[in-house]
Amino acid sequence: MSDYAIGVLTNIGLVSFIALSAYLLLIAGEMSFGQQGFFGVGAYVAGIATAMYGIPLPVAAVIAMAAGAAAAFLVGLPTLRLRGLYFAMATLAAAEMLRILFELIHFQREIDGELVGPDGTQGFRSIRWVFEAGIEPADFLVIVWALLALAVTAFIVVERSRLGATLRMLGEDPELARMLGIRVERFKLGIAAAAGAFAALGGALYAHHNTYIEPRNFDIMLGVHSLAYALIGGLGTVFGPLFGVLIDIGVLEGSRVFQGYRMIVFGGLVALLLVVRPRGLLDERFVHRLRFRAFRHT
Amino acid sequence: MRTILFAALLLASVPALAQRPRADLDCKPAKGLLTYDCIIRLTRGGQPLTGAAVTVGADMPSMPMAHNLKPVKAAPGEKPGEYRARLELEMTGEWAVKLRLSGPVREQLILHFEFSETGVSPVKRPSERRRPG
Amino acid sequence: MLFDLLQNTLDGLAMGSAYALLAVGFTLIFGVLRRVNLSYGPAIMFGAYCATWVHLNFQAGVLALALITIAGAALAGAYVERLCFAPHRNGSAIAAMVASFALWMQFEELVTLVMPKHLYDFPPMLSADPISFGPLTLPIEALVMLGCALAIGFGLQRLLYRSRFGLAVRAVIDAPVAAQLAGINVPRILMQVFLLASSIGGLAGYLIVSTHTQITPMLGMWSTLKGLLAMMIGGLGSLPGAIVGGLLLGVLEAHSQWFLGPQSRDLLAYLLLFALLALRPFGLWRARHAETRA
Repeated sequence: MSDYAIGVLTNIGLVSFIALSAYLLLIAGEMSFGQQGFFGVGAYVAGIATAMYGIPLPVAAVIAMAAGAAAAFLVGLPTLRLRGLYFAMATLAAAEMLRILFELIHFQREIDGELVGPDGTQGFRSIRWVFEAGIEPADFLVIVWALLALAVTAFIVVERSRLGATLRMLGEDPELARMLGIRVERFKLGIAAAAGAFAALGGALYAHHNTYIEPRNFDIMLGVHSLAYALIGGLGTVFGPLFGVLIDIGVLEGSRVFQGYRMIVFGGLVALLLVVRPRGLLDERFVHRLRFRAFRHT
Repeated sequence: MRTILFAALLLASVPALAQRPRADLDCKPAKGLLTYDCIIRLTRGGQPLTGAAVTVGADMPSMPMAHNLKPVKAAPGEKPGEYRARLELEMTGEWAVKLRLSGPVREQLILHFEFSETGVSPVKRPSERRRPG
Repeated sequence: MLFDLLQNTLDGLAMGSAYALLAVGFTLIFGVLRRVNLSYGPAIMFGAYCATWVHLNFQAGVLALALITIAGAALAGAYVERLCFAPHRNGSAIAAMVASFALWMQFEELVTLVMPKHLYDFPPMLSADPISFGPLTLPIEALVMLGCALAIGFGLQRLLYRSRFGLAVRAVIDAPVAAQLAGINVPRILMQVFLLASSIGGLAGYLIVSTHTQITPMLGMWSTLKGLLAMMIGGLGSLPGAIVGGLLLGVLEAHSQWFLGPQSRDLLAYLLLFALLALRPFGLWRARHAETRA
């Protein structure tokens, strides 16, 4: 496989994490404009852990997930009672505050005679754990996709359980859920924290893939893209968001057929697609029909 | 002279770390808008670093995972430690140039440059972005 | 110290007038459609780039450039309405919003495809000296901007509450089905509202780029974010709220920039938005229809 193909596939995997986190909130009926903030928290926390304190990446990734979940919990606490646009704007404000905090952090240590650590708008260089551990790009690709497979499996297990049914009911009708005795606020906080953790894991991997991060990497573009991926791929199954990422980064960017005007093609496709299928290609009805057919043939 | 030369040191300053490679990048506008010819000079411990396989890519600082250039392989240049590559950008402005080295040393170096139609200069302080115009 | 405070307030009012104009257009769309148009700023950017292109290729006067910006923004706005809002009128708000984001990407790429330089110069509106009141100065552009914001806010309020068109718009807001049955052409009213809002945005865009005398593709995101911020601070769907919200945001930014620096300025603006949403989710001025869920 060429270096370029490996790079594109790795990017698809990395973006999929944040698309998954947007999807999780969408099926619970909340639209977040702020998942990029938690992606950034994951990137910075994991980068600081490995590059400044010599903590191995697996441990650092777990710490990053905890930090992402904690940040999402704290943001969710005052905002989850808001609905629709209000919640979207509150999460956007939170993510932008996080991005500006990254710009204000100057926290460096001397390691092997070199200053390492986040340096405000100058960014954070030399997150070299992957290089020092001798992990080849192809190996890193396998790691990213293995973790993604794990995350997808977790989603599938949850969606088939009672928990998944509750999740979708919450998205469809929170009042009904409340009447049935579900503690809506608590449940949503849990979901927000889980979504934060997924985004943070993606961020941790991204920082180590790129070796360099800067605050601008985590602006609203990333957040809105992740929402768009989840929505065009479809809200019916966990494969929806992955499908959305695959269409944009894999097919359009990877093929380079539309180089130079890819976003014009992609933008038009998305807008037209949403006219026909407002809940994405793999929407609930499509998935239901697919399941029904599979069931009938067995 | 139209060409504006510059050198950008990636690593802060300290000479103690002789093992890590450093890169100087030297780009000038080539024929055709948005096309740039770049010379990369690699050194390690003050000595030219030869025989490395270098690929050059570039990211936009916003949404770097989706907006990037297809990396190109750099060819060895005239002098030892020199490599040449041609970049074709999508627009002028700030790009994060990503050098990936393999061969005698595996490393990834990222340098920020401001590409304009008259020349290319290193970005010391990535610009504040929320300006209207 | 007092001088700084006064001068900052003046500067803030100048910037805030631009925010107020942006917010008025935003709030008009939101108030009528209950939808967020993320392509609002990018459509303005498209109009401003049309004017820049004309400026580079032909000799065009100030008035012509302003009109081209407005026309370009209105044209782009109509395209957005057709593709993102008309089909989702009774459907999903999220789908409409994401579709408008998709068109944002189109505008950005189109603009960089035709004009790939990161930054273009834009001719200033006037070359007159700033007005001074003793030691305080105020650029004339700021005065024009403030005047436009107040005039348009006032005119729009009158249009909505004193004309047949306004009556029809309010009928569509309150009861679209009943309005349709009463013979109001609802899709046409919505399109007209969209054109009006985009034109106001275009005017704001022209005033902003001619004051800054340069333009980058960032203008799109900047206009959407600032317009949204000012609209949310003022309360969704309220015209006086949008103007007060814009001016408040401008003054707050000017002071915090002076005393704390640019990053703290943005931090404070978002902190204000976050706190307002958490504590007063319907804005400082609660609009008549704001309780309807977005």
